Amino acid sequence: MHDSSLSDTRSAPATTAVTKTRFRRRSKWLRAWFPYLLVAPAVIYLLGITLYPGIYAIVQSFYAVKFGPWNPVGFNNYVKLWGDYQFWGALWNTLLMGTISLTLQCVLALTLAFHAYRDPWVRGWRIIFLVPMLFMPSAVAFIYKLMFLDARVFSDILIRFGLVDGNLAIQSSIWGSRALLILTDVWQWTPFLFIIFVAALQGQDEEIEEAARLDGATWAKIFWNISLPLMRPVIAVALVIRGIDITTMFANVFIVTKGGPAFGTETISYFIYRTGFKFFNFGYASAASVIMLVLTIIVAQVVVKRAFKSARG
Amino acid sequence: MAQIELKGVSKRWGAVWGVRKVDIEIADKELLVLLGPSGCGKTTTMRMIAGLEDPSEGEITFDGEVMNAVDARDRDVAMVFQGYALYPNMSIYENIRFPLRMRNVPKDKQDELVRRAAKMVELSDYLNRKPGALSGGQRQRAALARAIVREPQIFLMDEPLSNLDAQLRQAMRVQIKYIQRELQITTVYVTHDQIEAMTLADRIVVMQGGAVQQVGTPDEIYSDPANTFVASFIGAPPMNLIDGMIKDGNFVADHVEVPDVGIKTTGQIRLGIRPEDCAVVSSAEQRHNMKGDVYGVEPTGDMTVLTLRVGEKNLEIKADRDYRSELGVQENVVFDTNRLYFFDSQSGERVR
Repeated sequence: MHDSSLSDTRSAPATTAVTKTRFRRRSKWLRAWFPYLLVAPAVIYLLGITLYPGIYAIVQSFYAVKFGPWNPVGFNNYVKLWGDYQFWGALWNTLLMGTISLTLQCVLALTLAFHAYRDPWVRGWRIIFLVPMLFMPSAVAFIYKLMFLDARVFSDILIRFGLVDGNLAIQSSIWGSRALLILTDVWQWTPFLFIIFVAALQGQDEEIEEAARLDGATWAKIFWNISLPLMRPVIAVALVIRGIDITTMFANVFIVTKGGPAFGTETISYFIYRTGFKFFNFGYASAASVIMLVLTIIVAQVVVKRAFKSARG
Repeated sequence: MAQIELKGVSKRWGAVWGVRKVDIEIADKELLVLLGPSGCGKTTTMRMIAGLEDPSEGEITFDGEVMNAVDARDRDVAMVFQGYALYPNMSIYENIRFPLRMRNVPKDKQDELVRRAAKMVELSDYLNRKPGALSGGQRQRAALARAIVREPQIFLMDEPLSNLDAQLRQAMRVQIKYIQRELQITTVYVTHDQIEAMTLADRIVVMQGGAVQQVGTPDEIYSDPANTFVASFIGAPPMNLIDGMIKDGNFVADHVEVPDVGIKTTGQIRLGIRPEDCAVVSSAEQRHNMKGDVYGVEPTGDMTVLTLRVGEKNLEIKADRDYRSELGVQENVVFDTNRLYFFDSQSGERVR
């Protein structure tokens, strides 16, 4: 029995046994829908946590909502926002602090990246620079609050060096408070840009750099004429990501300044929070959020589009 | 215009030698080709001339002046890279103008020079385009224009044609040679393509394993190779190498016999014969030196490459363009006995 089966497999011509494959068919319907079925759970989940609240907020922005029933008010919330100097103030503060902070971060990160990317220790630099990003944002905010306001470490150091006479009242000056928020943001998020820029510079074609050197370009000229223009799309995307983050800056404001003094550091996010969760004016807060969302989308689109267009040209 | 000299130049990374004690003298206005397989150190040698790589040992001089400590940007050297290395964010015009801008050439002269260089490489109609909108050949010409625009002391070309298709390559080869003669600029050209080397060079430096194997004119390299490496690297199909013995002044090997070869040594030796110095004879009665079975017949139009199985080896013969045969047929081959080469079977060095 055993022997015969062995000899069977040996003598059987391979062609008849192997090539007779039965082709399995799948229904057309299944073939068309199978990919969608696979991604459906993720898509449904994502839509649930982004699209649903978004639509909810848009709908709510046309109602006056204060715990009780929703009263339709049409565009009233938006009209009221138009005349609300605190809303405009918050918008201005966000724009002002955001622009300064973003510019500082970008310049700093570019400078550092351009000096570090050819360094043999670049891996080490990347890890060191990563550290601030690893802190919890609220922890960073508390550290800075302690350092400059509550514990007066900074003032104390200056006093010991004999540079100032008494405690610096940073929290009582609008620009002092703004500077503190900007400093906090720059400290924590410059590394993010640094890492992206270093990666972009390292990804550059080395031959191009060498060609420029042989053409007589100094490092500074290589940077301005070649590296920087080539990095434009990367810079744009990084700035948009960072810009959106800054536009929605909340934790730092909430922890360090609470929007003060005299609403001088109140950002849009903080304004929305105050309207919604302090005055419980939910419809009004929703309207402000919708406006912010629209503004963010427009700015991001314009920046990215322009950067990519000029780079491809 | 410059005369270049490399004196005992080496490059090593730790225990790895890139280039070993290379001595080369390049005359003014000469077109010197560094030829060798990949990893032979030819590109590293060129990059050391450019200043993009520092030699570990030895001296590089331009017109007698030591260049080792001079920065790449101050050597007045222009280089054409294998990947063209055009600046993708600039138009072709700006690309060609870049070296002039960097070297502070007066503004009013820049335009004239750019247009002249563009005209030389026939790119005048494409000046406003960006490199991304050009074909490979046009990009190559743009890179060439950028190199010639400021008339440097020295041109360096690192496999500039290797990314082009065969037809374009031939056209560009002629153009490069023409421009080099016209501008009379000392040029070092790196390639692994022996046809490029043969057609372009005033002199060829054959390199392998980081060391120079032979320096000479294309004729010398082809018809007077110094060792088996040079012999088999140059020529397509390459030179046939047959291991055998010298007995009583005759060369004897498996199915091969060449009488009175005029070599004084005896014992083991390697015979070299180029495919075009072999001929198929029509009958076995005629004088012949080698017997073999047809292993392959490859007509290329202008000739037929015949591969014969001789003993354990395949040997190639350039037969007449009309030659045809069946596989396995025995053929007899006669050698041109004036064009035999003998090499030491151990070291591969030429035996004369």
